[in-house]
Amino acid sequence: MNSEELISNLVQDVRPVRRDALTRRLLAGIAAGGVATFLIVGMWLGYRPDLWLAMHGAAFWTKWIYTASLAGCATVATARLARPDVTSLSWMWIMLVPILGLLIISMAELAHAPSAEWLGMWLGASWKVCSRNVFLLSVPIFAGLLWSFRKLAPTRLRIAGATAGLTAGAWGATLYCLHCPEVSAIFVLTWYTLGIGLAALVGAALGPRLLRW
Amino acid sequence: MRANEEQLRTWMVGGLAGNAAAHDALLRALLPILRSFYGRRMRGREEDIEDLVQETLIAVHHRRATYDPARPFSGWLFAIARYKMIDSFRRNGRFTTVEGLEDMLADEGFEDASNAQADVERLLDTIPKKQAAVIRATRIEGLSTAEAAIRLSLGESDVKVSVHRGLKTLAARVKDALK
Repeated sequence: MNSEELISNLVQDVRPVRRDALTRRLLAGIAAGGVATFLIVGMWLGYRPDLWLAMHGAAFWTKWIYTASLAGCATVATARLARPDVTSLSWMWIMLVPILGLLIISMAELAHAPSAEWLGMWLGASWKVCSRNVFLLSVPIFAGLLWSFRKLAPTRLRIAGATAGLTAGAWGATLYCLHCPEVSAIFVLTWYTLGIGLAALVGAALGPRLLRW
Repeated sequence: MRANEEQLRTWMVGGLAGNAAAHDALLRALLPILRSFYGRRMRGREEDIEDLVQETLIAVHHRRATYDPARPFSGWLFAIARYKMIDSFRRNGRFTTVEGLEDMLADEGFEDASNAQADVERLLDTIPKKQAAVIRATRIEGLSTAEAAIRLSLGESDVKVSVHRGLKTLAARVKDALK
């Protein structure tokens, strides 16, 4: 087919595109994956029975604000990288704010606890499975993002893969909070962050292959 | 005469609003622009040029939601065109292109390169805006005179003259600094 014929074919189908189409597409992918993850948390792990009670305490919200703020930043970065023209990502240093914030809270908590309890606070009851669960729960959201990217145009595939993984990991962790009963900040800082980081790493590894267009 | 940035952008925005005639005009106007873009960069692989032109047109059509009307159209277009070219080089086992090099340096945080870039930016800040813009487009990003003219909505001769004057001033600045 020559190029003139190609153009004639392409213009058969010119539907209007909303101005916020890119954002909606990304959010739709995240939401679809998020619903799947939400259901998986309920069926596989079970929502914590004291969820309602926990939502009246600070520990739950500390966790949630931590993971949700990382998720928000990562989502914005992914939306930027979904456009082909290169944009600056130096603002992503702002993600250090929640990390340092949680570090300060962790230190304060440890300072108020006898040192004999430190190891228990750090490892909690579920350190062996926490990072793995966060990582596994990120998979449906990452799949949703892959669907979103089918209509988008990233040109820096490795970084786009990393931020997509980070987005999936952080939203996955946010939903994992509905199950995880751990309360100490140092636990969240270590094992949640590890799971989220793992998701970002795998995203970076897969990005060049899966996001090609 | 080739369509300029303003015209292309207007057609693009029309196409995004669902106007098929504007979209048709846009894609047809892109044909010569893309042919010359790839023509200048794919010497020795002429048979691939038309394939790349078509792949780029398809991407422009299917992925048009990624265009932000607040940003320059040509920046978006050439980013897609460059991506398609690098992708084709990769498929054919050629990894490092001059265009790819810039991304690589940026990715690896190459210190010298960024220092040099900062020096260049500082120098460019000292000359008139228009001259700096044409030098950036033609000498740093590697656009042709015609492509730069589209991007900046200038005449081609204006671009040539501005590049020439700008480089002359820059050379004088550097000489002064070395004295």
